[in-house]
Amino acid sequence: MAANVTVIGRTTRVRGRVTGSVDLEVQGFVEGEITVGGDVTVDSQGIVGAGIRGRRLIVRGAVKGDLVGDESILLESGARVLGDVRAPRVAIASGALVRGYVQTGDADASGTRAARAQPAARPAPAPAARPAPAALPAPAAAPKPAAAPIPAKIGRAEPPPAARVAAPLSNSGPRRPPPPVVPALRSAKGQIAKKKER
Amino acid sequence: MASTVISAGITIEGEIATDEDIVVAGTLRGKLSAKESVTIEHGATVEADVAGGSLTVAGALTGNVTANERVDLQAGARVIGNVKAARVTIADGAQFKGNVDMDV
Repeated sequence: MAANVTVIGRTTRVRGRVTGSVDLEVQGFVEGEITVGGDVTVDSQGIVGAGIRGRRLIVRGAVKGDLVGDESILLESGARVLGDVRAPRVAIASGALVRGYVQTGDADASGTRAARAQPAARPAPAPAARPAPAALPAPAAAPKPAAAPIPAKIGRAEPPPAARVAAPLSNSGPRRPPPPVVPALRSAKGQIAKKKER
Repeated sequence: MASTVISAGITIEGEIATDEDIVVAGTLRGKLSAKESVTIEHGATVEADVAGGSLTVAGALTGNVTANERVDLQAGARVIGNVKAARVTIADGAQFKGNVDMDV
């Protein structure tokens, strides 16, 4: 066991960089970047305060930093991850906590920062696309979906009527916007203003 | 076995502190402090000040060593640095350069 697996034991604290080519198991505390060619396991007691890069990552403990797996990342129940997760294959089990950007598939070279800016806008348009944006001018529509919390919108009973109103609007919109659009805009703005206040 | 193992092929640059046994077979640069036994295996490279309960060295160690109990330099060990412990043994075949202080 001791031959090819490096183990950071439960009461062990490492402050600094860990690099290498073999497998690593963290049961204790590592406060520094981990970059290994082998597999990395963060035990349920393990805490890593910086990013981890390895072939396959299995996390049951806490990580504050970006996870990059060359093959796969498995976040098991009890995992707490504060950072981005990128690997060709990513599995997040029920009971795992993740706060960050998750990307599966071949990781393109673009940095996580640039990628992180998009997801705020990316998931929002999908649900919001039904009511407003078709009728609204683009610049005005863009910030709204991001600002409005999606759950609130789903929880309300209002979106269906809004969608109903928006449907004819989008048909007539391109030809002559002014008369029908104005009431729709007002109602839409009113809704969003209320949401912002909350 | 030891609960913390730095195996061959792993490099740690920084500080390690532990309350349990530790075995180093890889590379460590920085500082190592342990409450229990520290084993630096053959093939390991340690460039660090080491403090521990007891220390066994069979690899290469550069740095000052302090042990509460004992320090054993085994055959094949290469140690450069000062050694401070109540008991110090240097096996035939061990290379050593530094001061020995057994007056703890």
